This record gives sequence, structure tokens and C-alpha cells, in this order.
Amino acid sequence: MTKPFACLSLSLCLSATLPTLAHANPEADSDGFTHPLSQLQFNPFMDQQAFERAGFEVLDVYDPWTGPNRRIYQFNQRADEWIIMPVVRGYRYVTPDLAQQGISNFFSNVGDIGNLLNSAFQLKGQRSMEITARLLINTTLGAFGLWDPASKMGAPKHHEDFGQTLGHYGVGAGPYVVLPFLGPSNLRDAGGTVVDFASEQGVDFLNVATASSANPAISVLRAVDLRSGLPFEYGQTNSPFEYEKVRFLYNAARKIQIAD
Amino acid sequence: MFLRALTVCLALLPSLTSASSLSSTEYAYPIANPFIATIAGTPSAAAITLPAEHQIKQSDHALRLKKRGELPGVFYQSHQLKYRLAEQDGAAPLMFIIAGTGAHYASGTPELLKKIFYQGGFHVVQLSSPTSWDFMAAASRSATPGFSPDDADDLYRVMQAVLANHPSLQSSSINLTGYSLGGLQAAFVGALDKQRRALNFKRILMLNPPVNLYTSVRNLDRLVQTKVPGISNQQTFIDDLMQRLTRFFERQGRIEVNEAMLAEFQTSDEALSNEQLAMLIGSAFRLSVADIVYTSDLLNQRGLITPKDYPLGFNSDLAPFLKRSLLCDFDCYITQQLIPWWRKKHNGGSLLQMMNQVSLYALEPYLKDNPQIGVMHNADDLILGPGDLGWLRRTMGAQMTLYPRGGHCGNFAYPTNAHNMLEFFHD
Repeated sequence: MTKPFACLSLSLCLSATLPTLAHANPEADSDGFTHPLSQLQFNPFMDQQAFERAGFEVLDVYDPWTGPNRRIYQFNQRADEWIIMPVVRGYRYVTPDLAQQGISNFFSNVGDIGNLLNSAFQLKGQRSMEITARLLINTTLGAFGLWDPASKMGAPKHHEDFGQTLGHYGVGAGPYVVLPFLGPSNLRDAGGTVVDFASEQGVDFLNVATASSANPAISVLRAVDLRSGLPFEYGQTNSPFEYEKVRFLYNAARKIQIAD
Repeated sequence: MFLRALTVCLALLPSLTSASSLSSTEYAYPIANPFIATIAGTPSAAAITLPAEHQIKQSDHALRLKKRGELPGVFYQSHQLKYRLAEQDGAAPLMFIIAGTGAHYASGTPELLKKIFYQGGFHVVQLSSPTSWDFMAAASRSATPGFSPDDADDLYRVMQAVLANHPSLQSSSINLTGYSLGGLQAAFVGALDKQRRALNFKRILMLNPPVNLYTSVRNLDRLVQTKVPGISNQQTFIDDLMQRLTRFFERQGRIEVNEAMLAEFQTSDEALSNEQLAMLIGSAFRLSVADIVYTSDLLNQRGLITPKDYPLGFNSDLAPFLKRSLLCDFDCYITQQLIPWWRKKHNGGSLLQMMNQVSLYALEPYLKDNPQIGVMHNADDLILGPGDLGWLRRTMGAQMTLYPRGGHCGNFAYPTNAHNMLEFFHD
């Protein structure tokens, strides 16, 4: 859920900042009004329906299990509002910022094993080298990943999961699926999540997988950290069509991630 | 002697009647392109420093204005109107913020304004727009937003209920602001308060309001009619945008979304043209309109989008209704829902007559030389038409501030703007 949403925020973030474009100040009329719309070129015909066609395309997602999916979406929303987010807020309140950052870095470093495997599966040489460098630097200099010196040393974070690997080799997305607690996915990516989980258990990097099964609190901490880093809240779109909008954004974000 | 006094008076006259407007040399808001300013707001390097989330004592509350049974089942939790209150310690002036078209109380712009006023020492209450889904469901008695006097009436009732909900809140005065459509509504709320005297607003500030509502709606509807090369029957502008982003990230070697990335994107080969930026702004507006069209139709059981008595549940596929709603722009909403409702309820007449009742023109006697109410606007605001700024200047005189740049609501975080907003409410 993190990775798609990290990119999902892209579209939500279009309201973030863009730079200055060299742009002549247009002449103001006697009222001081600069007629901004007069700079635009409009379609010569009344209505080309560019918006409507794009809107219909947004809705064009293969979702044969839409009924159950919507019920799970509703369930996730309630679980998030009533249980998960209160826990996350409590965690943010009691944990110093520096400790939160350290915890986040630590799990991110553990996750780099999966990123490396999938990057290698996709035969992305340069990227695999960068992730290997990250693992080496952060696990040693970064004290088992609590700090992230690698990013400052020019080895930035990459996200690769098995769903992306499958997509890279041309496996289609399959039907849209909403997973309980984990949120939007599709058949391919849900399968990928299972593979990623299994390979993490197999590698058992820094004994995190073993320790987690002995002590479930570690898994809970990881989940809380994950949710804490997600810039999404249910109801944020304030739209009766949130399900449709999230579904589109998930698919769009995954397409971009797979192409990258 | 008399002559001298007269010349002094004459010399003073223009400065008394004319609005303050800043020239672009003394106003260094960095974005000259109104479309980018509208989308991106103030770049953080040029913005004022604002308090962080954890420095603000705030929480969300809910008002129960309707009974659960009044709403169809899909609105399972929207029979309560949520709002956000940020409290100062002890007594302080109170500020109500009304959000713009379709906007939620916790969306970006109300949050930004909250931080500005909170930092300036106000208690702040953030309210969703009467055109937003939650307000329509939980607080609007007609669920047909757009008729400003009735929207103001709903807002007024909500504000009274909010104050009643916090009896221990010590407010030294009650003030009001709103941006975009919320600015227009703030003025209508102010005029209503003149009659009812229940809240006794001290000051009211309109930020980038529409002057003629129909002009603004038409401008926004038109933004999706721009000519964007490369769009065909096979390729929509969303396809085009996705391809641009993909190519950009490929060249970057990694995916990361932040202010710096967007800045770089807009200077790369993949940068969006003004027409494409306009298309994005227009699309955001049309998506809000689709929500209004769908919600108003459903709550009033008009049967235009959702068939009457259609059994909607949590698991119902809403895609067919979203499709129908997407086909209706604001002009269509006015024709199909707002005007028929208005004719029935208020014995209304023509479109022109209605637009005179819902636009700022209706408030001319209230606005004229009223030191209680002010307006801030931008010379390059997309929602204005020719003559609008002139009307504002003639009506509001010195109560108007005009900035040379900022697009539609893009410059609130710019220090001059934030400072002037606080200054307006200062004694």
C-alpha cells in the first residue's frame, strides 16, 4: 500500500509547487484586469468533450468484483478511522521525531532487500548497484539502518516489488482488488505482495522476520510506521466517488512505476 | 484660505475613494503565470513561515443537524457535519473560514488560512463549502447549492450551532473570511447578520470572490475547452499527462514527488502548456461539479442521475452515475437543477434575474462604504470577467486591495498577503 500511495500522492500533489515560468506581464485594462483567459487558445468548435472523454477513461478499470471490493473499502475506512489512525496519532504523540525517523529508516533499510531482489529480477543493473550500495552503507555506517547516510551520498531510494517485476515482463494487472487493511491492489500486485512477504521471510535480513514472528509488536510497529508515512486519509477527497478516484489513481500510479 | 482647504480636500479625494492596488515592482510574488499560481500556490522559498501541525491546539468536531433517517443509506456517516476548531489559550478573537467550491474544511487552502490566522492570535473554525458533499448532506436544507442567500442561511445556522457547541470558548469578537465562492458567501452571511444580529461579526474579508457568479462559472466551465495539441479520439489529456510523467521519471532515473520535482518537471521538455494547465484546473472544477450534480439530484430524488428510489447501498456500483454526472457542467447544473428549484421555492424568473440575486450585485447597498467588510483580489484571477474589478472598486473603494499577480487564490501564503489579511482584522 505504501508504494502505490507514495506515487498516488503525485496527483494529489499537483497542488504542490511549480516554478516560475518566464512570462511577460500582460497588459492590464483600465480596471487593472489582465484578462488571463485571453492568453488561451480554445477549440474552434463548441465542445470537443475532452474532459468527458478523459473522465470516462478514468472509470475504465476492470473491476468485476466491484460489490465485495466496495464493502471491503468501507470496512477499511472504518478500521482506519476508528482503530488504525487513533493508534498512529498516539504513536506520533509519544514518539520523539528523531526516533520516528530512525524507526522509519530501519524498516526502509530492511525493505531494500526486496527492492534489490526485484530490481535484479528486472535486470536493472545500475539500479541494483545503487540499492546494494544503500544496503551496505546504511547497515554499517547507518547503524543497522537507523540512519540513511546513503541518500546523502548519492544512492537514492528506489521502490521495486514483485508486482512491478511481473508488470515489467508484461503480466497484465488483472481484476482490481481491495485488500482488507492493505487497501487498493489488483490480482497481479496482490500475488506480488505474497511473494515479497515470502522472500523477506526467507532472507530474514537482520533477523527481523524471525524476531517479528517471535514478537508481534515488531510487526505492529512496522505497520504503524507504514501508515504514519502515508499522506492519505479516508474522506480526504470529500467526494461520493472516492472509491472510483482512488481506483484510478492506484492504477495510474502503478503504470508509471512499472514503466520506470 | 477657503480655496486652500478646497484644494487639499480635492487632493485627498482620490486617495479616499480609490482602492489600494500594488504595482508589480513593489509586489514580488514570484509566479507571473496565473495558471501555475492557481495550481501551485506560493513556492515555499517565497512563503511565510507558518506553525507546524503539532504547534496548533486543534481538533475535529461534528454537528448533528439532520436525523439519520433523513438521508439515503449511502450517506452512512454524513448525517453529521464535521468541522475543525483551533483554539488559543484564553480569550481571543474568533475567525470562521468558509471553503471554496466543493472544498472540504480540511483541504489545503482552509488549512493554510487557518495557520495564518492562528499565528495571528485567532481561534479558528474551518467550515466546508455549502457546495461540498458533506455540507450538502449534513447541513443544507435544500441540498441545491448555488443560491447564495439560502447558502448563507445554512452557513449562518451552522455557525450558531458551532458556537453553541463550545460554550467555554472565550471569543473577544467574531470575524469571518472565505475564499473564492466562500468569499461571496461570506458577504451574504454578513448581510444576513445585519438583519438577524445573532453573531454580530466585527469584520468580514472576501478573498478572491466571484463578482458575477455566472461569469466565474462560465470561465471555469470553459477551461476544459482549451485547445491542447495531441488530444484525439484515441488519446485523452490524461493519457498525455501520464506519458509525460513516465518519460520524465525515466529520464530522472527514479520516482519521487515533491516541490523540487514539480519545479524540475515544469522546466523540462515535458512541461505543460497554459492550455494544459487550464485543462487541469477546469477538470478539478468539473469533478467538483460532478459531485454537486450527483449529490443534489440524489438527495432531492430528482431522478436525473440516479433513478428515483434506486436501491443504493455500500456495494452499489456508482460508475454509471458518475458518468452521467461528468456530462453535466455547472451551466447544466444551473439549468437542470438550480433554476427549477429556485422557481418553485422562491417564485423565481429568468437566469439573468437569478444571477443578480446570487452575485455580489445583490449586496451593493450593504457593501457600499462599509468599513466592516473588505475584499482582496488579483489582477490576473481566472474567475473574473471584464468590468468586475471596476465594479468592486466603485462599490468598495478603499476597502479593496488589488494584487498584480497570484492567479486564483495562489498568493495567500505570500508575506504581503498574509500580513494584509491580519492587518485588516487588526484594530
